[in-house]
Amino acid sequence: MIRTHVFAAALALAATAHCAWSQTPAAPGDAEKGKQKVAMCQGCHGIPGWRTAYPEVYQVPKIAGQHPAYIVSALKAYKSGDRTHPSMTAIASSLSDADMANIAAYYAQSGLGTKP
Amino acid sequence: MTNARLLAVTAAVALALIGGAVAAADLENAKKKVNDVCQACHGMDGNSPIPENPKLAGQNSDYLAKALRDYKSGARKNPVMGAMASTLTPKDIDDLAAYFAAQPPVLVSRY
Repeated sequence: MIRTHVFAAALALAATAHCAWSQTPAAPGDAEKGKQKVAMCQGCHGIPGWRTAYPEVYQVPKIAGQHPAYIVSALKAYKSGDRTHPSMTAIASSLSDADMANIAAYYAQSGLGTKP
Repeated sequence: MTNARLLAVTAAVALALIGGAVAAADLENAKKKVNDVCQACHGMDGNSPIPENPKLAGQNSDYLAKALRDYKSGARKNPVMGAMASTLTPKDIDDLAAYFAAQPPVLVSRY
């Protein structure tokens, strides 16, 4: 009993340490389904050097080739309000967890050196 | 002033501005900071081996700088990055952003 508790605590600790970025492990997404959802992303993230003008001027991040788990955690942070950006908050709040996983899978496999 | 001379002066000013911007980044300082602060999670070249942590190699430098400033100010919330960014000066942030942006990229803007 005690041993089980210790093991569970160790497991929980390991999980907490590992998931510093994302609260829950990302479910594997479907890149094909994600491809049908990225029309709303392309206007900014599909254009090299595109700058967002509000509330601050800077180049939007390149996301093709990024780790899918990180893309999901970024979208969840926008949806929850932990990260704020007017367009990204609006877009992320329209997405389900499955949409996020699918979009992440699509962008993860479209980086440099991989097929779009 | 002739058109040719005007063009030459304009080109010289433009080159000086570009050169100034590049020279402003202290990559040696950045490398030291990366080694001390960033590399355990993001890799020395910014290609994070850990899926929860973003790849930074080739990312836009002004986005990277904004992310670090937001972590430092608390506008963007992450316990680990908040702690890391709080140790950085504005110069460190600019140097690190330039360093990671200059690493061989995996990331790209793509439809």
